[in-house]
Amino acid sequence: MRKLFYLILLVFLASNLFAQNKLSKLHSKQNLDCSTCHECEVPTKTNPCLALCPRDKGKGTTHKVEDAPKVLEINKIKGEKDLYGAVNFSHKIHAEMSEMANGCVTCHHYNPPGKMVSCDFCHNTERSESKANIPDLKSAYHRQCMGCHTTWEEESRCENCHALNDEHKSTSTTSEIVKVHDSVTRPQTKVYETPNTNKGKVVTFHHNDHIELFGLECVDCHKDESCQSCHNQKPNFKKAENKVQHSSCNTCHETEDEKQCAKCHQESETKAFNHFAKTGFDLNKYHSKNTCSSCHKTKGSYTGLNSQCKNCHTWNNENFKHSITGLELNEEHSELDCTDCHENNNYKKPTCTSCHDESEGFIVPKKLPGKRIK
Amino acid sequence: MSQNRRDFLKTFAAIGTTAATLTAVTPNIAKGSSRRELSIDRKGVLVDTTVCIGCGKCEWACKTAHNMEAGNFDDYSSQLTDGSQRRPSENALTVVNQIDTSIMNSDKVKLQCMHCDHPACESACIVSAITKQENGAVTWDTDKCIGCRYCMVACPFQIPAFEYQKALDPKIVKCDFCYDRTKEGKLPACVEICPVGALTYGTREELLIEAKRRISKDPDKYFDHVFGEYEVGGTSWLYLAENNLVNKVFPKLGTNTAPGVSESIQHGLFAYFVPPVALYALLGGVMWLSKNKDKNEGGH
Repeated sequence: MRKLFYLILLVFLASNLFAQNKLSKLHSKQNLDCSTCHECEVPTKTNPCLALCPRDKGKGTTHKVEDAPKVLEINKIKGEKDLYGAVNFSHKIHAEMSEMANGCVTCHHYNPPGKMVSCDFCHNTERSESKANIPDLKSAYHRQCMGCHTTWEEESRCENCHALNDEHKSTSTTSEIVKVHDSVTRPQTKVYETPNTNKGKVVTFHHNDHIELFGLECVDCHKDESCQSCHNQKPNFKKAENKVQHSSCNTCHETEDEKQCAKCHQESETKAFNHFAKTGFDLNKYHSKNTCSSCHKTKGSYTGLNSQCKNCHTWNNENFKHSITGLELNEEHSELDCTDCHENNNYKKPTCTSCHDESEGFIVPKKLPGKRIK
Repeated sequence: MSQNRRDFLKTFAAIGTTAATLTAVTPNIAKGSSRRELSIDRKGVLVDTTVCIGCGKCEWACKTAHNMEAGNFDDYSSQLTDGSQRRPSENALTVVNQIDTSIMNSDKVKLQCMHCDHPACESACIVSAITKQENGAVTWDTDKCIGCRYCMVACPFQIPAFEYQKALDPKIVKCDFCYDRTKEGKLPACVEICPVGALTYGTREELLIEAKRRISKDPDKYFDHVFGEYEVGGTSWLYLAENNLVNKVFPKLGTNTAPGVSESIQHGLFAYFVPPVALYALLGGVMWLSKNKDKNEGGH
């Protein structure tokens, strides 16, 4: 009898343990806060008290855009008349645009652990069967799209996204899907007039430099953007006025410091930043891909650095390949120490006289210690 | 003869007094209430104006469901941009207007019969053609209707329309909450077609809970008021909006039922026939007195 009791107890414990393991596999291994999905403190299997529409905080796990297909075919709802075919949703483009605003959670507001759930995980395809607090799938889709699309489209025509099925196609051309415009042009330089400041009246913004030279990503500045800041096709829709632009600059520039105003606000247009003209150190040859902070380590301070190579590069005889300078040393010279030719830490121009007699014509660049390869 | 009249009047006065006492004793019947009890499961629609995109598909669906001239499916959204504030009419049982046309993309509001819990039209109808159905719909019987248009005057939302254009057999028309469709278990045509789900169909009770949930979840997005919860005693159609809809879309209406006022006057006036009888008694008394006076004067 006692044996039987122990056996039952063992089975019970084992099953308990197993159940816990199964749960942990899904939940606790994920680095998640319980309140991410559950509203009560102790969720149970029968009452998981899942949060309703957990939109506000962007809850859940994140996924990469690259993992998703470029274009998604949406074809889950069939209307009574079957007017429209599938919607080809350019997921990648929208994902990239969303980076400038709220990111993926703009649409993917509920991401339980594991694989990305599709919308019909919660949103019922049948309107008559859906609950009052969860919109049906058709509404959910349209609300995601129309929130932005109505802000900039001249007319929210269904055919902008939905291609009509063949039997409903009219002969007129209006029912064709509006094609996305050609590639977006990036402004080079923008000049802003700031007449209301008592500082300089003109701010020249070298857009191109900020990307090419300073290595900024689009989203570094273009965050919290609304759709119509780019998509502004309504003629009578007032374009957002050039308000104080500091919010897009002050992550890098000290806009609060009065002494710094003149850095941007000047009396006339300024030329683009040129490292060589300003410091004498040409970046275009080898350092063009570096970000500012890779050399200027102290944040906000761009004062002169020691321009000697060794200041940054830990090169020595063994690991330095001279060929990257465009000159491959011949056998005799490759044996030498760097300092044998480059005296006084001057790596620009070598001296040959310590070994060679100048009268014999060993003057750089007439005679080279190797072969020029670039 | 005069003796007879006196007796007659005495009797009448006695009846009047009894009736008056009775009135005072009888518990007050809820004024303006419909003769039927309202079903707890009566349906309603929650209109979330912050969600509406003004596509006007509900107008199209409504016309199609009611066998009216619907026109082109795609032409409806442009009606919003002309800035007019349209009213439901005999040609369109529901219309969508932009609330503030001076602001681009401001909220849109759909108008139709509100299907009051205590309909003024039902109370005003002298032939009892209008009925508040158990499912919440306020419907009317065209065969009973005599075209008096009292319902048009009574409606606090100015909803019922009249086919003035028809010389022969003009009828009263208004939104019927798709009574025929909902009987079959279908959604109202407008609710079914709405692409963004701005309209939610359900029991009035559950919709009120949902409306309040939305307000508490997004207090910045919504004006803290569910229009229709208490207005004119409650309506089946409930509205959520960013701003107060009163005076902008709807007139300022109290929480008393619309027929409450008129019925209390009317019912009070004719309650147990006391006031008319009392009036006649008074007049009779005056006549009698003056006649007596005449007699006395004549005797001199």
